[in-house]
Amino acid sequence: MKHDFKELKLDRVTRRFSGAGGKAFNALDELTLTVKRGEFICLLGPSGCGKSTALNCIAGLMQLSGGTIWLDQQRIDTLPPERRGFGMVFQNYALFPHMSVAKNIGFGLRMRGVPPTETASRVAHALKLVQLTGQEHKLPGQLSGGQQQRVAIARAIVIEPPLILMDEPLSNLDAKLRIETRAEIRRIHRELDRATIYVTHDQDEALSLADRIVVMKDGVVQQVGTPAEVYSQPANLNVARFMGYRNVLELDVVREDGDRVALEGQAIALTGMRKQPLDGSRAVVAIRPEEISVGEGPGGLNTIAGRVDNVEYCGRDSLLDVITPSGRLLHVRGPVTTALNDTVRVYVPVERALVYPSDRTDTAR
Amino acid sequence: MTTARETAARAPSDRALLLVIPAAAFMLLLFVYPFLYGLVLSFNPKQGGWLANYHFFFTTDNEWPTIWTTLRLALPATLINVGLALPIAYKMRVKTRYQRWVTTILVVPITLGTVLIAEGMLTYFGPRGWLSQFLQLVHLYDGPIRLTHNYWGVLISLIISGFPFAFLLILSYVTGIDPVLARAAATLGADPKAQFRHVYLPLLAPGLAMCFCLAFVQAFSVFPSAILLGSPAGPTRVISIAAYEAAFEQYDYSLASAIAMLMGLVQLVIVAAVLGLRSAFYRGPVGGGKG
Repeated sequence: MKHDFKELKLDRVTRRFSGAGGKAFNALDELTLTVKRGEFICLLGPSGCGKSTALNCIAGLMQLSGGTIWLDQQRIDTLPPERRGFGMVFQNYALFPHMSVAKNIGFGLRMRGVPPTETASRVAHALKLVQLTGQEHKLPGQLSGGQQQRVAIARAIVIEPPLILMDEPLSNLDAKLRIETRAEIRRIHRELDRATIYVTHDQDEALSLADRIVVMKDGVVQQVGTPAEVYSQPANLNVARFMGYRNVLELDVVREDGDRVALEGQAIALTGMRKQPLDGSRAVVAIRPEEISVGEGPGGLNTIAGRVDNVEYCGRDSLLDVITPSGRLLHVRGPVTTALNDTVRVYVPVERALVYPSDRTDTAR
Repeated sequence: MTTARETAARAPSDRALLLVIPAAAFMLLLFVYPFLYGLVLSFNPKQGGWLANYHFFFTTDNEWPTIWTTLRLALPATLINVGLALPIAYKMRVKTRYQRWVTTILVVPITLGTVLIAEGMLTYFGPRGWLSQFLQLVHLYDGPIRLTHNYWGVLISLIISGFPFAFLLILSYVTGIDPVLARAAATLGADPKAQFRHVYLPLLAPGLAMCFCLAFVQAFSVFPSAILLGSPAGPTRVISIAAYEAAFEQYDYSLASAIAMLMGLVQLVIVAAVLGLRSAFYRGPVGGGKG
């Protein structure tokens, strides 16, 4: 097995399925990606976006319909999963119910013919890494969900794979455990200095774990970037929507001045930053609730008046639904002192109002 | 010490236990009573002491060998059925286009009675049957083929009638095992053979033991096919024939009961041995974690 790899390369990896009525569709459409050693990559997207398909293709659990996968100079997409030697952590843990914790973790070493004494010491080390020392003789059924998931992680890393694949490993854990295990996964990744590909539909998870995020929708990659890039500069409206830009307003384009675009419509005038070339007279402005503040913009720029229609208390601030006189709904973070039916003026900085081509042209792509 | 108050306090929830009564009565009337009646009857022989029937069975030359004759049929038939059903059921665990068809074809014999199977086999496997004629036609084998009215006839019939049971049972066990376990094993370096050996087989073992017991009990009580397809006077004189002859030819119900008790005892010994082995394996749920 290869330990000292440099990179994993996916070249136009495609997976087709025959859907209902015999209509074939691409669950994964020409995914091209290079994963460097030491990197933590998150595949992020809503369910059905192809992220798990991508992971299964890399693991060898699913055959490709097109494209190639390379580990350095070696082509691996033609190898069966047992010859690829990647560690995989499954959403439902997939622990062998009839084997003790130690046997589960040692399974991969046993398959590789590692001598028992070495297996024992490596299993003990892996147990220590996931902080489960002392549980080695229990059966998986005797452990809690969080412990089972840690056994699954230990089982995947003990074989020292070049690549660790994780398929929504935290989605079955409760909120507190999820955050703890998340930190643990990041720590283990750092200690091992291998590459991790992590599939999730949870933006927070992706933002906190990843070095790079691959945002997917309908089998197509929408954006590849650092968490900061994906968070603050979504490449298109799909990514923006998925990353929490809850205010999406379709307006008329009045003027384009470099990247600055002025838009208008139904008693709203906004200036924002263009993120994609616009085609046509309509465009969409996407804004996060937390980037709209209650108050007046400089010189009244980007300021909208409205009435508070709903207040959700969040502790530090409140989430407000503001309705404009023309009936538009805006989601805004505001001070907790704001009350229902208050009349407010809210504004958004120009650089935080992102302008994209309107949806119709976007989906026609 | 259980006080009266404790008992009274528990009583309301125990009322559901009353629902057991019909089933318990059924068992008592139709199983326990006849069984005990037969047991007592077997110790009251027509003549001689209370063990005379058992003494007769084990000292008479055409009685005690029936145990071996029956085991010689039932054990191989059971092993073949379970052994054959396992790989086929394992292959059928994945949904494919043919899965439904293969399963249906394999299960059809379940709807045929033993007598119907015997009828068909006499036509097909008989000395002038299709198989014999076909083999002679293509000059594969020119000698007479004897697959009826002997040991082989009964064995084949036991396989035909017993296989669907074994197959269906094992299929339900196999499909109950989460396929993600095999995929996990694959990513850990287990090739398909190792996946079967280390994941499927250990999880299937208790089910296989169960299946073996059921198939064995069924095969051990073979009667119609031993008469119709075997040679009931000699090589396939199974234990049930001995009991039948005692009861309905010699009208010695006491001896027949003794033979029936011995038949039950042999089955019990084999089943107990297999279930004893079963307890050596993991017997919990076969999922991989949270579903």
